[in-house]
Amino acid sequence: MKNTLNQVFHSGKFVVGFCIFMALLAMVIFYPLFVPDDPLESIGKGTFFPPGTYVNIYDSINATTKYSINLDDATEKRIASKLTEENKKDMKTWLIMDGIPADQIDTSDISSLLKLWENEYSKSKTLGMTYAKQRYYQRLNASVQGLLSKEGLTVMQVDDSTGETNEIATIQQTDYVNVKQVANVRWFPLGTDNFGRDILTELVTAAGVSLQIGLVAGLIATFIGLTLGLISGYVGGWVDDVIMFITNLFTVIPSMVLLILISYSIGQDKRGAFTIATVIGLTSWVWTTRAVRSQVISLRNRDHVNLSKLSGHSTFNIIFSDILPYIMSYVIMALILQISSGILAEASLSILGLGPRTTDVPTLGLMMNWAMIYQAHVLGKWWAYLPVLVTIALITFSMNLMNTGLDQVFNPALRD
Amino acid sequence: MKGYRKYFLNKLVWLFVTAVFAFLLNFILPRLMPGDPVAAITARIAQGMSNSTGMKETYEQYQRSFGLDKPMLTQFALYIKNVFSGNFGTSFSQFPRPVSDILSSSIWWTICLQFPAIIIGWLIGNTLGALAAYLKKGFDKVIMPISIFVSNFPAFGMAVILMVIFGVKLRWFPTSGGYGFDLIPDFSWKFIWSVIVHYQLPFWSIVIIAIGGQAIGMRSMSIYELNADYVKYSRFMGIKDNKIVGYVFRNAMLPQITGLALSIGTMVGGALIAEIVFSYPGLGYTLLNAVMGQDYPLISAVTLIITLMVLIANFAIEMIYGLIDPRIKAAQSD
Amino acid sequence: MLEVNELTTKYITRFKEDVYAVDHVSLKVEEGKSLGIAGESGCGKSTLALSLMGYYFPPLHYTSGQIIIDGKNISGMNPDEVRRTILGTEIAYIPQAAMNALNPTQKVINFIQDVIWAHNPKMTKSDVYDFARQRFELLGLPEEVLHKYPVELSGGMKQRTVIAVSVILGPKILIADEPSSALDVTSQKMVIKMLLDLMETGLIKSMIFITHELPLLYNVTDDIMVMYAGQIVEKGTAQQTVFDPIHPYSKGLMGSIIVPESGLRNAKLTAIPGVPPNLKRPPEGCRFAARCKYVQPECKVHSISMREAKGDREYRCIFTEQQLRKDYENG
Repeated sequence: MKNTLNQVFHSGKFVVGFCIFMALLAMVIFYPLFVPDDPLESIGKGTFFPPGTYVNIYDSINATTKYSINLDDATEKRIASKLTEENKKDMKTWLIMDGIPADQIDTSDISSLLKLWENEYSKSKTLGMTYAKQRYYQRLNASVQGLLSKEGLTVMQVDDSTGETNEIATIQQTDYVNVKQVANVRWFPLGTDNFGRDILTELVTAAGVSLQIGLVAGLIATFIGLTLGLISGYVGGWVDDVIMFITNLFTVIPSMVLLILISYSIGQDKRGAFTIATVIGLTSWVWTTRAVRSQVISLRNRDHVNLSKLSGHSTFNIIFSDILPYIMSYVIMALILQISSGILAEASLSILGLGPRTTDVPTLGLMMNWAMIYQAHVLGKWWAYLPVLVTIALITFSMNLMNTGLDQVFNPALRD
Repeated sequence: MKGYRKYFLNKLVWLFVTAVFAFLLNFILPRLMPGDPVAAITARIAQGMSNSTGMKETYEQYQRSFGLDKPMLTQFALYIKNVFSGNFGTSFSQFPRPVSDILSSSIWWTICLQFPAIIIGWLIGNTLGALAAYLKKGFDKVIMPISIFVSNFPAFGMAVILMVIFGVKLRWFPTSGGYGFDLIPDFSWKFIWSVIVHYQLPFWSIVIIAIGGQAIGMRSMSIYELNADYVKYSRFMGIKDNKIVGYVFRNAMLPQITGLALSIGTMVGGALIAEIVFSYPGLGYTLLNAVMGQDYPLISAVTLIITLMVLIANFAIEMIYGLIDPRIKAAQSD
Repeated sequence: MLEVNELTTKYITRFKEDVYAVDHVSLKVEEGKSLGIAGESGCGKSTLALSLMGYYFPPLHYTSGQIIIDGKNISGMNPDEVRRTILGTEIAYIPQAAMNALNPTQKVINFIQDVIWAHNPKMTKSDVYDFARQRFELLGLPEEVLHKYPVELSGGMKQRTVIAVSVILGPKILIADEPSSALDVTSQKMVIKMLLDLMETGLIKSMIFITHELPLLYNVTDDIMVMYAGQIVEKGTAQQTVFDPIHPYSKGLMGSIIVPESGLRNAKLTAIPGVPPNLKRPPEGCRFAARCKYVQPECKVHSISMREAKGDREYRCIFTEQQLRKDYENG
């Protein structure tokens, strides 16, 4: 046993897979301890906030300390965030139509371009443009107004009693606030989803739930597969025929279809995470049964088994102590595969809308489902689905890697 | 051909048995649903109704048409009869469109998408695996990690990734639908071209997933076969390597075909999800809408059709295998 | 017919170490004669056979020496020429466990077609069939075998089929590598008979028979060569080598076999202690020294070359015939 463990942990593939998996597991376990938020709480009032740090504007205006910092490129950055390349090209086009020679217009020098624009632009100059185009330039003009001005902003507050607006603060262009001194700052590393929920928290919980579902489904499937395989392989005869018949039936019928039917029949309210896991387990034992059975068949004629039979051990005893230990390595590998395919099955079910109830816990599949339904992929809100996909892929990848590593340890013929 | 008869019959009987089982499942499972299905159905249909008599009549009509007032066996017979006459009932979510109508319009999209995609993916995957085993060195070292990585991606994952890269970012392909929204199906070139363009992304997602899975298996089989005794012996007798390679791949291919038969259920399942990602108007998308709309007749019909399709495909593959593997014929003749 | 001079070939292992599996081997086989090569597993017999054919596939590499068939030197020939002109046509090889040597999904006749067309592409299908049928008839194999798949044939039948196919191109030399080891006694006899018939009918001119069963060689081959750890340690006629071995290893081999032949029935069984040396680092001096009961310090110093003995024999030892024989008679 110790030697096997030794070999296992020396296998490169296994170690890599194991590390990835453990990292995920650690994340799932420890993250909620540090961030005790409810994963299903809608924090963002609005959909799909991109990842980033969100600073409360109200608090930063009222922040106790304002710092005055002079950065050379501040103005340029400010303008660049409002004025895209396309805008600049359009301005140049307008100016050329206005009669300014092209070589006098330099789109790379923003301040001169803006100065030129301010001097030349007037709503009244139609320059033979269509009405739509004129409106476009009016909007463009409005948005660049004041970009070059050095004036600050004034904040007014409406007095409830008198209805008057009173000035409460002015904000200069050079005013900065220390983020740490702002009362409310929220960092969304992965943004929010369509419901306004923090994706990272949701993701971690979802990964945990999916792993649990996978574990339960895997254990059930492996247990069924192991039992059926053992009985079918060892006892043989008509028992074997019956079990194999059932197994073959379940092989050909796509498990996806079975899952869909059963899931749907259970009905929305009964579909908790655990129930789904059980259902998945009950439909995916086929491969394990076959594999265990073939192993048992090759084992049952071995000498030590015959010896036990001669010694009068009961069938149960023989199966348990003579055959089971030899197939343990196989069973462990099967378990890993079942867990990873259980996770995938849950994800597929959830994408169809047949997964666990949406109000209890998030699962990886459910997150994908929401992202799809709310068109995240089309809208370009990658943070709503890409991290989920990567997590799913990482989980299955690490498990398969561990499995391949184990396979090479247990079957020296496969070592390359 | 006489030798094949036994094999053929064997597989045919099996097809029949599993089909019966599929029918049974499709029939029994939803009926195990707790609660009164007819009440739920009536509630939905009668959503606009305020007249209680009208509701009661609707309820009774559905009872009758489902035959729920008759014993189970009769219900089952009724069900089978309905299925074979093409009557799958009326859809709820697309009331009053008959289910068979919905099926017939979406089934062709699915077949035309998945059938070629799975086959082509299988062919390319096996070729790559075989090449990797034969050429070794550089080619192998590149193909292997990529295949392992790709094969671990869930089917829909690949679909989403392709969609994002090629559909959203690069805008080379459309992201949804089977054809342009502004087009009406006809046989004009414009329509056909639109169909082809919309076909690309879903098609390639399925193909790539299939490749990943097959390449690894074929590579292992090929390596195993390349080291077989008959390869060495053929070389000893002076036979050219090209010919020998032909033998090897033919032999390595056989278990792959069997593998395809076994895994076609899973592949179709994955491909269905890919369809959903792209809102491709096939069975997958229909199923999704049916589930969302709680459209029981439609769900039942779609799952039945999918199962039957897989069963028939499985049967076809096993027949092809019987024709290709000469040992089957040999074993039958004595 | 076949002359080999100082042939050396090596395997290059994964870690770039060289294993000289065939070390300066020289032998001669004349037309109409057969040579048996005896030795324990791993001594290089099969490698020698492959090397004789010019069949070098990584990790097996040719290092030095000459192989001359019918006056033609084939050592150092490029692989494609070897494939076209030598393999199957000049020298044929029957591999060990020949029953697995046939492609399970190919009919025998199809394989024969491929073999013939690889060397003679112009022959028509029906000609090929007739030719195969005649050959098979000549060798006592039924015509229906041609139409069968390997899975339909018994072990012995497969072996004989392989032999028949191997000589179908009329090679001058046939190398049989343990052709009868995996068979039951009756099949063994049929196989041996077939091989001897081949020589008698002139279908092949010379034969090299590789085995670890010495007594078998006595009944089959004219001359015997004993190999140990990649080197030849004794050469002589079958009669001489079996009944009067000189080299300590040959003596050990013969002594460890139960043989009902008269003259040997009363000999005591002996086992040779120890294991063959690791050919990655062959020992200095005599390779058998570690296991030899005659060993002296001089044995381990220099590499030993072949010595001549009475009756046109050779052996590789520093001692004289008399010295070795004296001890033998003393038990």
